[in-house]
Amino acid sequence: MLSRVADALYWMSRYVERAEDITRILTVNFHTLLDAKTEDAQAWEPIINITGDEDLFRRHFDDFNARNVSEFLLWHPANPNAVTTCITHARENGRGVREQISSEMWEHLNRLYFLVKDIKREISARGPYEFFDKIRHGSQAFQGITNETMTHGEAYEFIQIGKHLERADKTVRIIDVKYASVNQLREGPESSLQLIAMLRSCSAFEAFRKAHLSQLQPARVAEFLLFNQQFPRAVAYCLQRALRSVALMSEDAKHPTGPHRSLGRICSELDYVDINEVLGVNMRPYLNRLLNIMNQAGDEITRTYFHTQVILPAEYPPRQQQTQQQQ
Amino acid sequence: MTESPVPTQAVLTDRYEVGDFFDEMFTSAGEPRSHYRRLHELLSEMTAEAFNESRSNADISFLYQGITFTVYSQHEQGIERIFPFDLIPRIIPGSEWSLLERGLSQRVTALNQFLFDIYHDQRIIKDKVIPADLIFGARNFRREMIGINVPKNVYAHITGTDLVRDDKGNYFVLEDNLRSPSGVSYMLENRQAMKRTFAGLFQRYGVRAVEHYPQELLNTLRSVAPHDNPDPNVVLLTPGIYNSAYFEHAFLGRQMGIEIVEGRDLVVHDNRVYTRTTKGLKPVDVIYRRIDDDFIDPLSFKNDSLLGCAGLLNAFRAGNVTLANAIGTGVADDKAVYAYVPAMIRYYLSEEPILHNVPTYLGMHENECDYIVNNLHQLVVKSVNESGGYGMLVGPHSSQAERERFRDLVKADPRNFVAQPIVRLSRHPTYQNGELYGCHVDLRPYILCGENVRIVPGGLTRVALRSGSLVVNSSQGGGSKDTWVLSD
Repeated sequence: MLSRVADALYWMSRYVERAEDITRILTVNFHTLLDAKTEDAQAWEPIINITGDEDLFRRHFDDFNARNVSEFLLWHPANPNAVTTCITHARENGRGVREQISSEMWEHLNRLYFLVKDIKREISARGPYEFFDKIRHGSQAFQGITNETMTHGEAYEFIQIGKHLERADKTVRIIDVKYASVNQLREGPESSLQLIAMLRSCSAFEAFRKAHLSQLQPARVAEFLLFNQQFPRAVAYCLQRALRSVALMSEDAKHPTGPHRSLGRICSELDYVDINEVLGVNMRPYLNRLLNIMNQAGDEITRTYFHTQVILPAEYPPRQQQTQQQQ
Repeated sequence: MTESPVPTQAVLTDRYEVGDFFDEMFTSAGEPRSHYRRLHELLSEMTAEAFNESRSNADISFLYQGITFTVYSQHEQGIERIFPFDLIPRIIPGSEWSLLERGLSQRVTALNQFLFDIYHDQRIIKDKVIPADLIFGARNFRREMIGINVPKNVYAHITGTDLVRDDKGNYFVLEDNLRSPSGVSYMLENRQAMKRTFAGLFQRYGVRAVEHYPQELLNTLRSVAPHDNPDPNVVLLTPGIYNSAYFEHAFLGRQMGIEIVEGRDLVVHDNRVYTRTTKGLKPVDVIYRRIDDDFIDPLSFKNDSLLGCAGLLNAFRAGNVTLANAIGTGVADDKAVYAYVPAMIRYYLSEEPILHNVPTYLGMHENECDYIVNNLHQLVVKSVNESGGYGMLVGPHSSQAERERFRDLVKADPRNFVAQPIVRLSRHPTYQNGELYGCHVDLRPYILCGENVRIVPGGLTRVALRSGSLVVNSSQGGGSKDTWVLSD
């Protein structure tokens, strides 16, 4: 497969996932606020922290309130990770590889694009919840359509890697922010509310309930979201899947490729960490480490598959291995 | 739909005016032509409401499928629009088509022989059939091609010839497009849309299929692989997603199951072309390129081009890769060279041309140049190397100032201009904004030339949607309709 094509598929998938994650985080926060007594700023600042764009936000807005945060995350032109921008990028990437994805996928991506293009009108006409639902359904349907209409070959695996790395990244960030705020609270209704919000932000509330019945405690929630091997938004699950895709692609290589090695390493670590080692003050450094490793894996993928150096067929002597890249 | 026509009113009413033109559907007496009779019946029965509904469904499905083209030089950069599609099909009887088929194949055969000749012995110049300065002065004549052999001696593998009909219904060739003609995807997509809308009519009419075009194209491309390679790697080279025809590139790539590549995906080593893949380099044999000569190789042509691939021309000259169309075909669709195509047909094939040219005055001939500048108000003046409806003057519709400007342009560079009398283009009933009215149409069939010449029965009928306008190009407010060739 062309390197450029692999690159576009990977980012198309990452951007769709990113748009969905941001939308879900917003939705949950709106819902949680209906029950909570917290001040606006307290409730909304962490949302921006999750996306990691605090500085950018402060440059354009003074207050962390529902209106500003929503505008920033949904359509603000200065925010490169706004939902509208993500969907536009996803579509641009999809457009560049139109012949690689199925017509159904392309049609659906277009639908999403036209939906967010009219974002302001949609929201004022139908209210934010219905709009959020549409984005979420749209993204989920896209993943489903991808699964059902596309050959599960190399192209598909790049889509899977993009999706899973993005998802793992967002889950880690959600844990980071929410765990910090829960940790300051005493066990009680307020803390439960926050934990439920944390789970809902990852669509994990029901799954968690099934696994842990009544123990709604920070340690159990963090453990579930980090190490669960079966829940599709848990960090360990996502990285396992990404590893599987990378392994499939390097099947015929003699040595594991860069991304294979870095993902393999982190996956085995996640298998053997005990949640008690990373609770309390250890949580933040550990999550930062995870984020760094995931970023590294992303870079390795770019280096290995997207920016391939010109490796000449074996019959040419090595002295001719000059790079002939043109951008 | 902004209009709300009376619900019970039919699409086709007696309000339709045939006008003082050749109407494809009606005789001058207002009777439907025999091959249109069934369609005529349907349109007289169908209510405007039902018709509008099918129409907006077709529009929406085009938008969702991303069948859009990009319009440049607007305030917003690169707006996407749906290429307007008109649901009323153009119908061509089988007998008429077989004449067109013979005429087009004759023309393309002669053009390919001409290209071979001027890049080899230049007999046609030595025999004084075509003046030397016309060829050597043509902007798209490529000296780099002299003496180069191409597989099967085919230069123009894909030709999109524009045909028009005058007020008597006679067919004329308006121009030959031998530099990656576009629009074929609309021919295919329009057919899909029509099949969804008028399923029943298709069976009763016996419309010949066009769906096999991508397969025919692939066969053509495979048949011209270098060194008679039986299993060549064929790719489509596109300028990228910001090109106005990108949709079409992706569409054809997918239909043929070949990779679509951009210049940055290619690399040349030892006169061999490769694609960069996630698993290293992969050799390429045939390139269906949708990039102009000028941009294809920064080492040989425009050196600031980012669209092509350095060294491609050398790989081509070495015979290790086939380019379709070959480099240098543009010389044959120079609008001044066009005037000599009938002479080429007589010279190379010793046959009389089956399809005629529109009479053409060449600026390079002094007396014809005088005629042009003195009669601007009744001529269409065209710059010889422009396409897409840019750089032309439609005399009767022009202002005094525009005519002054063109007079100066022609006088300054006569070689660069040709002029033709206004052809009173035929019209076809077209349904827009709740109204059925006659619009001028042309026809672009696609001629494939590999081992032999193949033409898929059909083509793109382009419609000048603006009432009275004669310009059918998509970039100038044109639309399209499905073209039915009957199997009678």
